[in-house]
Amino acid sequence: MAGIGALSPSIAAADAGAEVPHPSRRSLHGLDWFVFFVADVQAGFGPFVAVYLTTQKWTQFDIGLVMTVAGLVALVGQVPGGALVDAARSERVVAGAAIAAIGGSALAYAMWPIFPVVLAAASLQAAASCALGPAIAAISLGLVGHAAIGERFGRNARFASIGAGLSAGVMGACGYFFSARSVFFVTAALLVPALLVLRRLAVEEIDPERAHGSLPPAARPPIDLKSLLQKRALLIFGACLLLFHLANAAMLPLMGSVLTMRSSQWATVLIGACLVGPQLVVAAFSPWVGRQAERWGRRPLLIAGFAALPVRGLLFATVSDPYLLVAVQLLDGLTGAVLAVMVPLTIADLTQGTGRFNLTQGLVGTMTGLGASFSPTFAGFVSDTFGSNYAFFGLAIIAVLGLAVVSLLMPETRDAGRDGER
Amino acid sequence: MGGRIGGIALFVLAATLQTVAAQNPQNPEPPGQPSVTVLGSKEVQSIVGSEIRSAADEDMGRIVDVLVDGSGQARAAIIDFGGFLGVGSRKIAVDWKALHFVPAASARYRIVLELTKDQVKPAPEYKEGKPTIVLGAAGNLEPLP
Repeated sequence: MAGIGALSPSIAAADAGAEVPHPSRRSLHGLDWFVFFVADVQAGFGPFVAVYLTTQKWTQFDIGLVMTVAGLVALVGQVPGGALVDAARSERVVAGAAIAAIGGSALAYAMWPIFPVVLAAASLQAAASCALGPAIAAISLGLVGHAAIGERFGRNARFASIGAGLSAGVMGACGYFFSARSVFFVTAALLVPALLVLRRLAVEEIDPERAHGSLPPAARPPIDLKSLLQKRALLIFGACLLLFHLANAAMLPLMGSVLTMRSSQWATVLIGACLVGPQLVVAAFSPWVGRQAERWGRRPLLIAGFAALPVRGLLFATVSDPYLLVAVQLLDGLTGAVLAVMVPLTIADLTQGTGRFNLTQGLVGTMTGLGASFSPTFAGFVSDTFGSNYAFFGLAIIAVLGLAVVSLLMPETRDAGRDGER
Repeated sequence: MGGRIGGIALFVLAATLQTVAAQNPQNPEPPGQPSVTVLGSKEVQSIVGSEIRSAADEDMGRIVDVLVDGSGQARAAIIDFGGFLGVGSRKIAVDWKALHFVPAASARYRIVLELTKDQVKPAPEYKEGKPTIVLGAAGNLEPLP
Protein backbone atom coordinates (compact mmCIF):
# COMPACT_ATOMS: atom_id res chain seq x y z
CA MET A 1 0.00 0.00 0.00
CA ALA A 2 2.89 2.36 0.63
CA GLY A 3 4.10 4.67 -2.07
CA ILE A 4 0.87 4.99 -4.00
CA GLY A 5 0.95 8.38 -5.59
CA ALA A 6 -0.54 9.81 -8.73
CA LEU A 7 -1.29 6.32 -9.96
CA SER A 8 -3.35 5.51 -6.92
CA PRO A 9 -6.87 5.30 -8.43
CA SER A 10 -6.34 2.14 -10.43
CA ILE A 11 -4.10 0.45 -7.87
CA ALA A 12 -6.27 1.25 -4.88
CA ALA A 13 -9.44 0.25 -6.63
CA ALA A 14 -7.87 -3.03 -7.64
CA ASP A 15 -6.86 -3.50 -4.00
CA ALA A 16 -10.41 -3.01 -2.86
CA GLY A 17 -11.58 -5.53 -5.40
CA ALA A 18 -13.94 -3.04 -7.03
CA GLU A 19 -14.16 -2.29 -10.69
CA VAL A 20 -12.89 1.18 -11.55
CA PRO A 21 -15.71 3.54 -12.42
CA HIS A 22 -15.26 5.58 -15.57
CA PRO A 23 -17.67 8.48 -15.27
CA SER A 24 -18.09 10.54 -18.43
CA ARG A 25 -16.70 14.07 -18.70
CA ARG A 26 -20.24 15.27 -19.23
CA SER A 27 -21.32 13.93 -15.83
CA LEU A 28 -18.23 15.23 -14.06
CA HIS A 29 -18.65 18.72 -15.48
CA GLY A 30 -22.37 18.53 -14.74
CA LEU A 31 -21.52 17.89 -11.09
CA ASP A 32 -19.05 20.82 -11.07
CA TRP A 33 -21.73 23.20 -12.21
CA PHE A 34 -24.44 21.70 -10.03
CA VAL A 35 -22.27 22.33 -6.96
CA PHE A 36 -21.66 25.86 -8.26
CA PHE A 37 -25.37 26.67 -8.65
CA VAL A 38 -26.30 25.06 -5.33
CA ALA A 39 -23.82 27.37 -3.63
CA ASP A 40 -25.42 30.29 -5.51
CA VAL A 41 -28.91 29.37 -4.41
CA GLN A 42 -27.86 28.83 -0.80
CA ALA A 43 -26.01 32.17 -0.68
CA GLY A 44 -29.31 34.03 -0.97
CA PHE A 45 -30.39 32.68 2.38
CA GLY A 46 -27.39 33.82 4.35
CA PRO A 47 -27.30 37.40 5.42
CA PHE A 48 -30.05 38.69 3.17
CA VAL A 49 -32.96 37.21 5.09
CA ALA A 50 -32.60 39.52 8.09
CA VAL A 51 -32.09 42.59 5.91
CA TYR A 52 -35.04 41.75 3.69
CA LEU A 53 -37.43 41.06 6.55
CA THR A 54 -36.33 44.30 8.21
CA THR A 55 -37.24 46.22 5.06
CA GLN A 56 -40.60 44.42 5.16
CA LYS A 57 -41.13 46.00 8.60
CA TRP A 58 -40.67 42.81 10.56
CA THR A 59 -39.74 43.21 14.19
CA GLN A 60 -36.40 41.93 15.39
CA PHE A 61 -38.21 39.46 17.61
CA ASP A 62 -40.03 37.80 14.71
CA ILE A 63 -36.86 37.70 12.60
CA GLY A 64 -35.00 36.11 15.50
CA LEU A 65 -37.78 33.56 15.99
CA VAL A 66 -37.70 32.50 12.32
CA MET A 67 -33.90 32.23 12.43
CA THR A 68 -34.01 30.12 15.60
CA VAL A 69 -36.61 27.73 14.21
CA ALA A 70 -34.66 27.37 10.96
CA GLY A 71 -31.47 26.75 12.96
CA LEU A 72 -33.16 24.02 15.00
CA VAL A 73 -34.55 22.33 11.88
CA ALA A 74 -31.08 22.47 10.31
CA LEU A 75 -29.64 20.76 13.39
CA VAL A 76 -32.32 18.14 13.99
CA GLY A 77 -32.72 17.37 10.28
CA GLN A 78 -29.10 16.31 9.69
CA VAL A 79 -29.48 12.65 10.66
CA PRO A 80 -32.85 12.09 8.92
CA GLY A 81 -31.49 13.93 5.86
CA GLY A 82 -28.49 11.61 5.69
CA ALA A 83 -30.63 8.53 6.30
CA LEU A 84 -32.95 9.62 3.49
CA VAL A 85 -30.05 9.84 1.05
CA ASP A 86 -28.81 6.40 2.15
CA ALA A 87 -32.26 4.95 1.59
CA ALA A 88 -32.75 6.60 -1.80
CA ARG A 89 -32.16 4.65 -4.99
CA SER A 90 -31.53 7.80 -7.00
CA GLU A 91 -29.35 10.46 -5.42
CA ARG A 92 -30.09 12.67 -8.41
CA VAL A 93 -33.80 12.78 -7.63
CA VAL A 94 -33.12 13.66 -3.97
CA ALA A 95 -30.75 16.45 -5.00
CA GLY A 96 -33.23 17.78 -7.56
CA ALA A 97 -36.14 17.74 -5.11
CA ALA A 98 -34.05 19.41 -2.40
CA ILE A 99 -32.81 22.22 -4.64
CA ALA A 100 -36.35 22.72 -5.98
CA ALA A 101 -37.64 23.05 -2.42
CA ILE A 102 -34.95 25.62 -1.65
CA GLY A 103 -35.75 27.61 -4.81
CA GLY A 104 -39.44 27.46 -3.92
CA SER A 105 -38.67 28.77 -0.44
CA ALA A 106 -36.85 31.73 -1.98
CA LEU A 107 -39.87 32.48 -4.14
CA ALA A 108 -42.15 32.28 -1.10
CA TYR A 109 -39.94 34.76 0.77
CA ALA A 110 -40.13 37.16 -2.15
CA MET A 111 -43.85 36.86 -2.82
CA TRP A 112 -45.44 36.60 0.63
CA PRO A 113 -43.26 38.01 3.41
CA ILE A 114 -45.81 37.19 6.10
CA PHE A 115 -45.01 35.24 9.24
CA PRO A 116 -46.52 31.77 8.58
CA VAL A 117 -45.22 31.64 5.00
CA VAL A 118 -41.71 32.78 5.92
CA LEU A 119 -41.58 30.41 8.90
CA ALA A 120 -42.60 27.49 6.68
CA ALA A 121 -40.21 28.53 3.90
CA ALA A 122 -37.29 28.92 6.31
CA SER A 123 -37.98 25.48 7.82
CA LEU A 124 -38.33 23.91 4.37
CA GLN A 125 -35.06 25.48 3.22
CA ALA A 126 -33.26 24.20 6.33
CA ALA A 127 -34.72 20.70 5.98
CA ALA A 128 -33.92 20.48 2.26
CA SER A 129 -30.34 21.61 2.92
CA CYS A 130 -29.95 18.68 5.32
CA ALA A 131 -30.57 16.28 2.43
CA LEU A 132 -28.82 18.33 -0.27
CA GLY A 133 -25.37 18.33 1.34
CA PRO A 134 -25.16 14.54 1.73
CA ALA A 135 -26.80 14.06 -1.68
CA ILE A 136 -24.01 15.97 -3.43
CA ALA A 137 -21.34 13.99 -1.58
CA ALA A 138 -23.22 10.77 -2.41
CA ILE A 139 -23.45 11.63 -6.11
CA SER A 140 -19.71 12.37 -6.08
CA LEU A 141 -18.90 9.06 -4.44
CA GLY A 142 -21.34 7.18 -6.66
CA LEU A 143 -19.71 8.68 -9.75
CA VAL A 144 -15.99 8.31 -9.04
CA GLY A 145 -15.73 5.69 -6.28
CA HIS A 146 -13.55 5.70 -3.17
CA ALA A 147 -10.24 5.62 -4.99
CA ALA A 148 -10.68 8.98 -6.71
CA ILE A 149 -12.96 10.70 -4.21
CA GLY A 150 -10.32 12.95 -2.58
CA GLU A 151 -9.72 14.97 -5.69
CA ARG A 152 -13.44 15.01 -6.48
CA PHE A 153 -14.25 16.56 -3.07
CA GLY A 154 -11.51 19.07 -3.81
CA ARG A 155 -13.22 20.05 -7.05
CA ASN A 156 -16.58 20.28 -5.26
CA ALA A 157 -15.06 22.63 -2.70
CA ARG A 158 -13.55 24.75 -5.47
CA PHE A 159 -16.82 25.17 -7.35
CA ALA A 160 -18.80 25.71 -4.16
CA SER A 161 -16.57 28.52 -2.99
CA ILE A 162 -16.47 30.18 -6.41
CA GLY A 163 -20.26 29.97 -6.49
CA ALA A 164 -20.67 31.31 -2.97
CA GLY A 165 -18.22 34.16 -3.52
CA LEU A 166 -19.63 35.23 -6.89
CA SER A 167 -23.26 35.08 -5.88
CA ALA A 168 -22.64 36.94 -2.63
CA GLY A 169 -21.20 39.72 -4.78
CA VAL A 170 -23.99 39.67 -7.36
CA MET A 171 -26.73 39.44 -4.74
CA GLY A 172 -25.09 42.15 -2.64
CA ALA A 173 -25.21 44.37 -5.71
CA CYS A 174 -28.87 43.45 -6.34
CA GLY A 175 -29.72 44.32 -2.76
CA TYR A 176 -27.87 47.61 -3.02
CA PHE A 177 -29.07 48.82 -6.43
CA PHE A 178 -32.57 47.31 -6.54
CA SER A 179 -34.09 45.95 -3.35
CA ALA A 180 -33.57 43.27 -0.75
CA ARG A 181 -36.56 41.51 -2.27
CA SER A 182 -34.88 41.18 -5.68
CA VAL A 183 -32.24 38.94 -4.08
CA PHE A 184 -34.88 36.28 -3.52
CA PHE A 185 -36.22 36.49 -7.08
CA VAL A 186 -32.64 36.04 -8.36
CA THR A 187 -32.21 33.08 -5.99
CA ALA A 188 -35.41 31.45 -7.21
CA ALA A 189 -34.41 32.03 -10.84
CA LEU A 190 -31.06 30.26 -10.26
CA LEU A 191 -33.05 27.09 -9.68
CA VAL A 192 -33.48 26.75 -13.47
CA PRO A 193 -29.78 26.41 -14.40
CA ALA A 194 -29.25 24.22 -11.31
CA LEU A 195 -31.87 21.72 -12.50
CA LEU A 196 -30.61 21.89 -16.09
CA VAL A 197 -27.03 20.96 -15.14
CA LEU A 198 -28.33 18.24 -12.81
CA ARG A 199 -29.98 16.65 -15.87
CA ARG A 200 -26.54 16.40 -17.48
CA LEU A 201 -25.49 13.87 -14.84
CA ALA A 202 -25.98 10.41 -16.29
CA VAL A 203 -28.11 8.38 -13.87
CA GLU A 204 -26.54 5.07 -14.88
CA GLU A 205 -23.08 6.32 -13.91
CA ILE A 206 -24.11 7.05 -10.31
CA ASP A 207 -23.96 3.68 -8.61
CA PRO A 208 -26.36 3.92 -5.63
CA GLU A 209 -24.50 1.23 -3.65
CA ARG A 210 -21.22 3.06 -4.08
CA ALA A 211 -22.97 6.35 -3.21
CA HIS A 212 -24.05 4.87 0.14
CA GLY A 213 -20.55 3.71 0.93
CA SER A 214 -21.12 0.04 0.14
CA LEU A 215 -18.69 -1.89 -1.99
CA PRO A 216 -20.58 -2.86 -5.15
CA PRO A 217 -19.34 -6.40 -5.79
CA ALA A 218 -20.31 -7.63 -2.34
CA ALA A 219 -23.24 -5.37 -1.54
CA ARG A 220 -24.14 -6.46 1.95
CA PRO A 221 -27.01 -4.88 3.89
CA PRO A 222 -25.93 -1.67 5.65
CA ILE A 223 -24.59 -2.06 9.17
CA ASP A 224 -26.83 -1.01 12.06
CA LEU A 225 -26.60 2.31 13.85
CA LYS A 226 -25.14 0.77 17.00
CA SER A 227 -22.08 -0.67 15.34
CA LEU A 228 -21.66 2.59 13.44
CA LEU A 229 -21.56 4.51 16.72
CA GLN A 230 -19.00 2.05 18.11
CA LYS A 231 -16.43 3.13 15.56
CA ARG A 232 -13.93 4.93 17.78
CA ALA A 233 -12.31 6.96 14.99
CA LEU A 234 -15.71 8.30 13.97
CA LEU A 235 -16.53 9.52 17.48
CA ILE A 236 -13.11 11.13 17.79
CA PHE A 237 -13.56 12.82 14.44
CA GLY A 238 -16.99 14.13 15.47
CA ALA A 239 -15.54 15.50 18.71
CA CYS A 240 -12.72 17.21 16.77
CA LEU A 241 -15.23 18.91 14.50
CA LEU A 242 -17.42 19.96 17.42
CA LEU A 243 -14.45 21.66 19.07
CA PHE A 244 -13.35 23.13 15.76
CA HIS A 245 -16.69 24.78 15.04
CA LEU A 246 -17.13 25.88 18.64
CA ALA A 247 -13.89 27.81 18.15
CA ASN A 248 -14.45 28.84 14.54
CA ALA A 249 -18.06 29.92 14.03
CA ALA A 250 -17.93 33.10 16.11
CA MET A 251 -14.52 34.22 14.95
CA LEU A 252 -15.48 35.99 11.72
CA PRO A 253 -18.58 37.79 13.09
CA LEU A 254 -16.60 38.92 16.14
CA MET A 255 -13.76 40.10 13.94
CA GLY A 256 -16.26 41.91 11.71
CA SER A 257 -17.65 43.92 14.58
CA VAL A 258 -14.13 44.73 15.82
CA LEU A 259 -13.27 45.89 12.31
CA THR A 260 -16.32 48.14 12.01
CA MET A 261 -15.49 49.74 15.36
CA ARG A 262 -11.94 50.55 14.30
CA SER A 263 -12.36 51.66 10.73
CA SER A 264 -15.42 53.38 9.36
CA GLN A 265 -14.54 54.49 5.89
CA TRP A 266 -13.11 51.23 4.64
CA ALA A 267 -15.03 48.88 6.92
CA THR A 268 -17.39 47.72 4.18
CA VAL A 269 -14.58 47.03 1.74
CA LEU A 270 -12.45 45.33 4.39
CA ILE A 271 -15.29 43.05 5.48
CA GLY A 272 -15.98 42.27 1.84
CA ALA A 273 -12.32 41.26 1.50
CA CYS A 274 -12.60 39.14 4.66
CA LEU A 275 -15.51 37.25 3.10
CA VAL A 276 -14.19 36.86 -0.44
CA GLY A 277 -10.46 36.41 0.29
CA PRO A 278 -10.80 33.02 2.04
CA GLN A 279 -13.18 31.84 -0.71
CA LEU A 280 -10.46 32.52 -3.27
CA VAL A 281 -7.96 30.58 -1.17
CA VAL A 282 -10.37 27.64 -0.94
CA ALA A 283 -10.99 27.75 -4.70
CA ALA A 284 -7.25 27.75 -5.38
CA PHE A 285 -6.15 25.11 -2.88
CA SER A 286 -8.91 22.57 -2.37
CA PRO A 287 -8.21 20.33 -5.42
CA TRP A 288 -4.56 20.28 -4.36
CA VAL A 289 -5.64 19.28 -0.84
CA GLY A 290 -7.68 16.45 -2.34
CA ARG A 291 -4.69 15.15 -4.31
CA GLN A 292 -2.25 15.43 -1.41
CA ALA A 293 -4.69 13.61 0.86
CA GLU A 294 -4.17 10.54 -1.31
CA ARG A 295 -0.39 10.98 -1.40
CA TRP A 296 0.41 12.05 2.15
CA GLY A 297 -2.59 10.61 3.95
CA ARG A 298 -5.26 12.53 5.83
CA ARG A 299 -3.51 13.25 9.12
CA PRO A 300 -0.90 15.83 8.06
CA LEU A 301 -3.49 17.91 6.23
CA LEU A 302 -6.06 17.69 9.02
CA ILE A 303 -3.45 18.72 11.57
CA ALA A 304 -2.37 21.66 9.38
CA GLY A 305 -5.97 22.82 8.95
CA PHE A 306 -6.72 22.54 12.67
CA ALA A 307 -3.45 24.27 13.56
CA ALA A 308 -4.31 27.36 11.50
CA LEU A 309 -7.35 28.08 13.68
CA PRO A 310 -5.66 28.82 17.05
CA VAL A 311 -3.06 30.87 15.18
CA ARG A 312 -5.86 32.92 13.66
CA GLY A 313 -7.53 33.39 17.06
CA LEU A 314 -4.28 34.50 18.70
CA LEU A 315 -3.48 36.92 15.89
CA PHE A 316 -7.00 38.41 16.01
CA ALA A 317 -6.51 38.95 19.74
CA THR A 318 -3.18 40.72 19.33
CA VAL A 319 -3.16 42.44 15.94
CA SER A 320 -5.01 45.75 15.78
CA ASP A 321 -4.25 47.11 12.32
CA PRO A 322 -7.39 46.57 10.18
CA TYR A 323 -5.42 45.68 7.05
CA LEU A 324 -3.38 43.04 8.88
CA LEU A 325 -6.62 41.60 10.25
CA VAL A 326 -7.76 40.98 6.68
CA ALA A 327 -4.47 39.21 5.95
CA VAL A 328 -4.94 37.02 9.05
CA GLN A 329 -8.43 36.16 7.86
CA LEU A 330 -6.86 34.50 4.80
CA LEU A 331 -5.86 31.67 7.18
CA ASP A 332 -9.57 30.91 7.25
CA GLY A 333 -9.29 29.97 3.58
CA LEU A 334 -6.52 27.48 4.38
CA THR A 335 -8.60 25.85 7.11
CA GLY A 336 -11.68 26.03 4.90
CA ALA A 337 -9.97 24.23 2.02
CA VAL A 338 -8.76 21.46 4.33
CA LEU A 339 -12.09 21.00 6.10
CA ALA A 340 -14.20 21.14 2.92
CA VAL A 341 -12.24 18.21 1.52
CA MET A 342 -11.26 16.26 4.61
CA VAL A 343 -14.66 16.09 6.33
CA PRO A 344 -16.48 14.15 3.58
CA LEU A 345 -13.28 12.30 2.69
CA THR A 346 -12.64 11.05 6.24
CA ILE A 347 -16.27 10.03 6.57
CA ALA A 348 -16.04 8.18 3.25
CA ASP A 349 -12.90 6.40 4.54
CA LEU A 350 -14.50 5.39 7.81
CA THR A 351 -17.77 4.22 6.32
CA GLN A 352 -16.34 2.31 3.38
CA GLY A 353 -18.25 -0.94 3.12
CA THR A 354 -20.88 0.05 5.70
CA GLY A 355 -23.59 1.43 3.40
CA ARG A 356 -24.00 4.32 5.87
CA PHE A 357 -21.91 7.06 4.28
CA ASN A 358 -24.72 9.63 4.24
CA LEU A 359 -26.22 8.83 7.63
CA THR A 360 -22.72 9.29 9.06
CA GLN A 361 -22.46 12.63 7.30
CA GLY A 362 -25.68 13.56 9.08
CA LEU A 363 -24.26 12.47 12.46
CA VAL A 364 -21.06 14.43 11.93
CA GLY A 365 -23.11 17.37 10.62
CA THR A 366 -25.07 17.37 13.88
CA MET A 367 -21.84 17.57 15.89
CA THR A 368 -20.66 20.41 13.63
CA GLY A 369 -23.97 22.23 14.04
CA LEU A 370 -23.89 21.87 17.83
CA GLY A 371 -20.41 23.37 18.00
CA ALA A 372 -21.30 26.19 15.63
CA SER A 373 -24.49 27.11 17.45
CA PHE A 374 -22.88 27.45 20.87
CA SER A 375 -19.91 29.38 19.54
CA PRO A 376 -21.57 32.83 19.28
CA THR A 377 -23.12 32.43 22.74
CA PHE A 378 -19.73 31.66 24.27
CA ALA A 379 -17.88 34.38 22.35
CA GLY A 380 -20.62 36.92 23.00
CA PHE A 381 -20.54 36.24 26.73
CA VAL A 382 -16.75 36.51 27.00
CA SER A 383 -16.70 39.56 24.76
CA ASP A 384 -19.38 41.38 26.81
CA THR A 385 -17.75 40.54 30.12
CA PHE A 386 -14.03 40.82 29.41
CA GLY A 387 -13.70 42.35 25.94
CA SER A 388 -13.22 41.02 22.45
CA ASN A 389 -9.50 40.21 22.86
CA TYR A 390 -10.33 37.73 25.60
CA ALA A 391 -13.08 36.27 23.45
CA PHE A 392 -10.50 35.60 20.73
CA PHE A 393 -8.16 34.04 23.34
CA GLY A 394 -11.01 31.86 24.58
CA LEU A 395 -11.80 30.69 21.07
CA ALA A 396 -8.10 30.03 20.46
CA ILE A 397 -7.91 27.84 23.58
CA ILE A 398 -10.84 25.73 22.33
CA ALA A 399 -9.09 25.52 18.96
CA VAL A 400 -5.93 24.25 20.68
CA LEU A 401 -8.05 21.54 22.35
CA GLY A 402 -9.38 20.55 18.94
CA LEU A 403 -5.85 20.47 17.55
CA ALA A 404 -4.72 18.30 20.47
CA VAL A 405 -7.53 15.79 19.93
CA VAL A 406 -6.88 15.61 16.20
CA SER A 407 -3.13 15.18 16.53
CA LEU A 408 -3.08 12.82 19.53
CA LEU A 409 -6.17 10.65 19.06
CA MET A 410 -7.30 10.80 15.44
CA PRO A 411 -5.91 7.84 13.46
CA GLU A 412 -4.91 7.92 9.81
CA THR A 413 -7.95 6.87 7.83
CA ARG A 414 -6.65 6.63 4.26
CA ASP A 415 -6.43 2.89 4.31
CA ALA A 416 -9.17 2.26 6.87
CA GLY A 417 -11.75 0.80 4.52
CA ARG A 418 -9.25 -1.19 2.48
CA ASP A 419 -7.76 -2.83 5.55
CA GLY A 420 -11.24 -3.58 6.82
CA GLU A 421 -11.91 -5.55 3.65
CA ARG A 422 -9.15 -7.99 4.30
CA MET B 1 -58.24 42.10 59.61
CA GLY B 2 -56.74 44.38 56.99
CA GLY B 3 -56.80 41.54 54.53
CA ARG B 4 -60.50 41.02 55.08
CA ILE B 5 -61.33 44.68 54.53
CA GLY B 6 -59.17 44.61 51.39
CA GLY B 7 -61.06 41.52 50.27
CA ILE B 8 -64.43 43.18 50.78
CA ALA B 9 -63.26 46.32 48.99
CA LEU B 10 -62.10 44.19 46.08
CA PHE B 11 -65.42 42.38 45.99
CA VAL B 12 -67.35 45.65 45.91
CA LEU B 13 -65.08 46.96 43.17
CA ALA B 14 -65.52 43.78 41.15
CA ALA B 15 -69.29 43.91 41.61
CA THR B 16 -69.39 47.53 40.44
CA LEU B 17 -67.28 46.71 37.42
CA GLN B 18 -69.56 43.82 36.61
CA THR B 19 -72.63 46.04 36.78
CA VAL B 20 -70.99 48.61 34.54
CA ALA B 21 -70.00 45.93 32.10
CA ALA B 22 -73.49 44.45 32.15
CA GLN B 23 -75.20 47.78 31.65
CA ASN B 24 -73.01 49.08 28.87
CA PRO B 25 -74.23 46.90 26.00
CA GLN B 26 -77.86 47.70 26.79
CA ASN B 27 -77.13 51.42 26.93
CA PRO B 28 -79.42 53.01 24.29
CA GLU B 29 -77.17 56.06 24.02
CA PRO B 30 -74.35 55.30 21.54
CA PRO B 31 -71.04 55.72 23.34
CA GLY B 32 -69.08 58.50 21.59
CA GLN B 33 -68.00 57.37 18.14
CA PRO B 34 -64.20 57.03 17.83
CA SER B 35 -62.89 60.13 16.17
CA VAL B 36 -61.35 59.80 12.74
CA THR B 37 -58.36 61.75 11.58
CA VAL B 38 -57.14 61.62 8.03
CA LEU B 39 -53.38 61.83 7.59
CA GLY B 40 -51.94 62.43 4.15
CA SER B 41 -49.63 59.76 2.81
CA LYS B 42 -46.84 62.33 2.63
CA GLU B 43 -47.64 63.69 6.06
CA VAL B 44 -46.76 60.58 8.06
CA GLN B 45 -44.80 57.44 7.38
CA SER B 46 -44.02 54.13 8.99
CA ILE B 47 -40.38 54.10 9.93
CA VAL B 48 -39.36 50.59 11.03
CA GLY B 49 -37.14 49.23 8.29
CA SER B 50 -36.53 52.68 6.78
CA GLU B 51 -33.08 53.68 5.65
CA ILE B 52 -31.45 56.60 7.35
CA ARG B 53 -28.70 58.87 6.02
CA SER B 54 -26.26 61.21 7.68
CA ALA B 55 -26.23 64.94 6.89
CA ALA B 56 -23.34 64.19 4.54
CA ASP B 57 -25.58 61.58 2.84
CA GLU B 58 -23.69 58.56 4.20
CA ASP B 59 -25.59 55.29 4.63
CA MET B 60 -26.35 55.01 8.35
CA GLY B 61 -28.29 51.75 8.28
CA ARG B 62 -31.95 51.15 9.03
CA ILE B 63 -34.29 51.77 11.92
CA VAL B 64 -35.21 48.43 13.45
CA ASP B 65 -36.95 49.54 16.65
CA VAL B 66 -38.06 52.58 18.64
CA LEU B 67 -37.74 52.94 22.43
CA VAL B 68 -40.38 54.90 24.32
CA ASP B 69 -40.51 55.96 27.97
CA GLY B 70 -43.38 55.63 30.46
CA SER B 71 -45.26 58.59 28.97
CA GLY B 72 -45.07 57.16 25.47
CA GLN B 73 -42.50 59.69 24.30
CA ALA B 74 -40.03 58.30 21.81
CA ARG B 75 -36.59 58.44 23.42
CA ALA B 76 -34.30 56.53 21.10
CA ALA B 77 -34.27 54.70 17.80
CA ILE B 78 -32.38 51.44 17.40
CA ILE B 79 -30.46 51.45 14.14
CA ASP B 80 -28.78 48.49 12.48
CA PHE B 81 -25.52 50.11 11.52
CA GLY B 82 -22.43 49.26 9.48
CA GLY B 83 -21.05 45.98 8.27
CA PHE B 84 -21.32 44.21 4.97
CA LEU B 85 -23.51 41.24 4.06
CA GLY B 86 -24.59 40.88 7.65
CA VAL B 87 -21.05 40.69 9.06
CA GLY B 88 -19.96 43.42 11.43
CA SER B 89 -23.30 45.23 11.72
CA ARG B 90 -24.38 46.35 15.17
CA LYS B 91 -27.58 47.63 16.73
CA ILE B 92 -26.99 51.06 18.18
CA ALA B 93 -29.38 53.30 20.13
CA VAL B 94 -29.43 56.91 18.90
CA ASP B 95 -31.23 59.81 20.54
CA TRP B 96 -34.66 60.38 19.04
CA LYS B 97 -33.91 64.12 18.93
CA ALA B 98 -30.91 63.44 16.69
CA LEU B 99 -33.23 62.12 13.99
CA HIS B 100 -34.78 64.54 11.53
CA PHE B 101 -37.70 63.54 9.42
CA VAL B 102 -37.42 65.61 6.28
CA PRO B 103 -40.42 65.71 4.01
CA ALA B 104 -38.43 65.90 0.82
CA ALA B 105 -39.76 67.96 -2.08
CA SER B 106 -39.86 64.73 -4.04
CA ALA B 107 -42.21 61.86 -3.25
CA ARG B 108 -40.26 60.28 -0.39
CA TYR B 109 -39.72 61.11 3.21
CA ARG B 110 -36.10 61.14 4.20
CA ILE B 111 -34.75 60.39 7.63
CA VAL B 112 -31.53 62.18 8.46
CA LEU B 113 -29.39 61.35 11.49
CA GLU B 114 -27.49 64.28 12.90
CA LEU B 115 -24.35 62.19 13.42
CA THR B 116 -21.52 61.04 11.20
CA LYS B 117 -20.33 57.49 10.64
CA ASP B 118 -17.19 58.24 12.65
CA GLN B 119 -19.30 59.37 15.60
CA VAL B 120 -21.54 56.29 15.54
CA LYS B 121 -18.67 53.82 14.93
CA PRO B 122 -17.40 53.49 18.56
CA ALA B 123 -20.87 53.28 20.13
CA PRO B 124 -21.55 50.10 22.10
CA GLU B 125 -24.14 47.60 20.90
CA TYR B 126 -27.71 47.91 22.13
CA LYS B 127 -28.74 44.90 24.20
CA GLU B 128 -32.28 44.32 25.37
CA GLY B 129 -32.70 44.12 29.13
CA LYS B 130 -29.49 46.02 29.84
CA PRO B 131 -29.11 49.76 30.44
CA THR B 132 -29.25 51.47 27.08
CA ILE B 133 -26.42 53.75 26.05
CA VAL B 134 -27.93 56.36 23.76
CA LEU B 135 -25.83 58.26 21.30
CA GLY B 136 -26.80 61.95 21.48
CA ALA B 137 -26.79 64.57 18.76
CA ALA B 138 -23.39 65.96 19.70
CA GLY B 139 -21.92 62.47 19.50
CA ASN B 140 -21.80 62.04 23.29
CA LEU B 141 -23.01 58.93 25.06
CA GLU B 142 -25.73 59.28 27.66
CA PRO B 143 -27.22 56.38 29.59
CA LEU B 144 -30.99 56.15 29.45
CA PRO B 145 -32.43 55.69 32.97
